Order: sequence, then structure tokens, then C-alpha cells
Amino acid sequence: MKGLNGGTLRAKEEPEEQEEGMSAHSPCKKSPSSSSSLHKEQSQVEVEVKLLQALEIYPLVKLRGIHRHFVLFGLTDYLQRSFNRPFSPSEVLQLLDRFYNLEMLQPDDDDCELLNQEEEFSLPQSFFVKEEP
Amino acid sequence: MGGSLKDDDSATDSDDLKGDLPNATSGVFVEGEKVLAYHGPRIYEAKVQKAEIRKNEWRYFVHYLGWNKNWDEWVGKDRLMKYSDENVLKQQALDKKQGVDKNQKARAGHTRPKVSTDVKLEKEDSRNTGTKGKKRKGDIEVEKEDDAQVGKPVKIQIPPTLKKQLVDDWESIIQQDKLIKLPRSPNVDTILSKYMEYNSLKDGSQGMTTDQSQEIVNGLLCYFNKVLPVMLLYKKERQQYIEAVVGDVSPSATYGAEHLLRLFVKLPDLLGKFKMEEETLIRLKQKLNDFLKFMQKNQSTFFLSTYDVSKVYEGFEKEEDD
Repeated sequence: MKGLNGGTLRAKEEPEEQEEGMSAHSPCKKSPSSSSSLHKEQSQVEVEVKLLQALEIYPLVKLRGIHRHFVLFGLTDYLQRSFNRPFSPSEVLQLLDRFYNLEMLQPDDDDCELLNQEEEFSLPQSFFVKEEP
Repeated sequence: MGGSLKDDDSATDSDDLKGDLPNATSGVFVEGEKVLAYHGPRIYEAKVQKAEIRKNEWRYFVHYLGWNKNWDEWVGKDRLMKYSDENVLKQQALDKKQGVDKNQKARAGHTRPKVSTDVKLEKEDSRNTGTKGKKRKGDIEVEKEDDAQVGKPVKIQIPPTLKKQLVDDWESIIQQDKLIKLPRSPNVDTILSKYMEYNSLKDGSQGMTTDQSQEIVNGLLCYFNKVLPVMLLYKKERQQYIEAVVGDVSPSATYGAEHLLRLFVKLPDLLGKFKMEEETLIRLKQKLNDFLKFMQKNQSTFFLSTYDVSKVYEGFEKEEDD
């Protein structure tokens, strides 16, 4: 059951209060015919609403950093559990693309911190102890 | 006034207590005891950190298990219950009452706020609260769960034979002054794609679709390429790295199972750096454990059994004689 195809979007307000620190994002694309928007399936609205809820847990900015695949996995899992049907990560990206221009997001600052702290690899002590319970 | 205790806050002597108060030397609950505690409309697992008598009553400083220390608080015995089957049932009953079952606790706070199918309306509401739903008054669960998920250590069990592999790895490099010959074959790219092949042959794959598994594998690849030089190398390997990974060459094309395994030692730290729902974490861990088992199954083909004796490191893939 793929394909929330985007033909029947209704116009939405720009979600500017949702995310902090975003440099730019595009408003949702309007459907060319406003009458088709009235026929937008209830389920599509529900999916979008759930997605926006999911973003409260998984901030958009994380979709640009090193954790992005796991964050996307988290969003996908959230939707999957909400609707009890499989979702694919690319489906989720498509959905997000309706609301946000992901390329315009600034990279996550936390990442810089992580990647600048070079340290030598070391094995935790527990590895050297025999028969860890 | 004789016998008045109201002014005495440090009562520790038992003779002034009324008959129905607990024995002065121990309250109903003891330090270190695991209990069930009311917080808001729900019941949570907690642990008694301290127990003291204050103003003739036993007070318990509790820590809610799994939650940030900020939530630790002093409570009276009316808020606590023994950790018994009967009381656990009460906890579950309240969970149900809240309209969510225990495993979905993480989502409870997020699905509860007023959600109307009219997205426009919701945005107007959320504009006023001005947050992503985190600090909503009265909706304690939301904030609690936020705190609980960031920075909570993610445990990943490395199988014993792979642990030994890591110790041998350390021994060869640190004790015996050896190095792994680069480039490796199979390299990380190959190992990950072999895993995806293996994964597609399995039935069910822990309830994860191929796409989802692929996303996780992509996540590992992304981590590996970004963090290899930051946290996966021993000092002695630095020079080799600088010479081997030049220009467009990616670490995942150069290094193999030995270094990929080191990533798993660091994974708990990495995954703890951002918030994830408990349920999702569980599924992720299952997948990661499955991957480790796959590595274990292929241990003899993926890993080197002996490393090269390194001289002053002269070149990539060359063995210079002195």
C-alpha cells in the first residue's frame, strides 16, 4: 500500500512554529484544482498529522546529521505502529517533502561537537575480564 | 509544653510516636527497595534512595526507574506501594485506563494532545504553547519520556567470540605492534551488502521490511565513514589511515570487519546522542544483534587471523624491506 500520491493536497499554513533553527522551508504544494482537495482522503490527513506528531520526537534537523538514517527509521516505525501497516523510509521522506525543504536545513550542531572530538579507540575494561556475568 | 512534638523536626526517638506510626528504626519501605509509585494519574516503577523521618512521618526519596534524575522526589507512604504482583496489576490497569498499553508508554504523551483532523486548527493551538509539545503543564508524561530517552545508554550485546576477536585485535596492535594490512577484503561495503543479501533470504526478518533494514544498514555505513578517524583507530593506526584514505577513498572501502566491529563498541554512545522511542529502540537493537550474529557466523571469512608486523609504515599495500 504505497503511495500517498500527492495529487489531492489541500493548502496548508506554513508550519513555521514547528521547528526552530530552520533556515528555509517551502510551503506545501497546492493542488491545482481546489475541488479535488475536498476529496482528500481522511487517512491522508491522519498520516500527515501523525507525521507532524512524530517530529516532536525526531526533530527535523536530525535528518541532516550523522544519525539521519536512524532518525528516519524512527519516524517510519512511529507511523508503522500508528497505522498498523508497513511504511517505507522513502515514503516518509516523500511525505516530509510536502512540508519541508530538507536540503535547506542547517546541519546539526551537535554533530560538529561529536566529530571534532578525536579520541583513540579503547576497549572497555569488561572485555578483558573473563566470564562477565 | 510537655510532649509536644510539633516543634521538633528531627524526631528520631520512637517513644513519642503514636502507636500506628511505623517503628522508628525502619519505615514501611527501605533504602534500595524497588517499589511502585504514583505520579500523576499513573503508577511507575521506582527505587527508594533515602528514607527518613520528617515531622514524625516517614518520607522516601524516590528515583523513577528509567527517568531522568530531575524527577527524583520526596514522597510519603501514601504514594508508594510494595512491588507485588497485585500492585503491578494496578499499574497495568491504570495504563489501560489512560488508553494506552504499557509498551506504548512512549507515545502516550504525544498522541494525547488535542489532535483534530483539522491541521490548521492544531497549528493555531500549538502556536500559543510555542513548543513541540514538550513542556505542557499537567501533561507530565511528555516531558518525562523526553528526558528518559535522550542519553539513556543503549545496550548492545556483543557475542563472546566477537569480544575475543576484539581483544585479539587489541593484543596484535597494542602489544605486538602489528597492523592490519589495507585495503581489506572483504571491506565494510561488501560485508554490509552481504548482510542485506542474507537478510532478504530470511523469513520475516524480525518484522522489518527490507527497506527498513536497509535504512539501518545505511545508518551503520554512515556512522562508519564519519567516525572511523574520530573514534575507531588506535594511535598506532593513524599514520596508516592518513596514507590509505586519501582523496575520494572512503573508509568503508578500505577497512573491514575488524574496524566495523569496533564501531559496535561505540554504537551505544552514538545512538544515545539523540532521542528515540523505546519501542523503536527495541526493534533497532534486535536488528543490530542480528547483524552481529551474522558477523559471528562468518567470522572466519570476514576477519583476519593474523596481522602484519609493521615496520615504520612505508606505504599502502606495500611491504618494504629494511
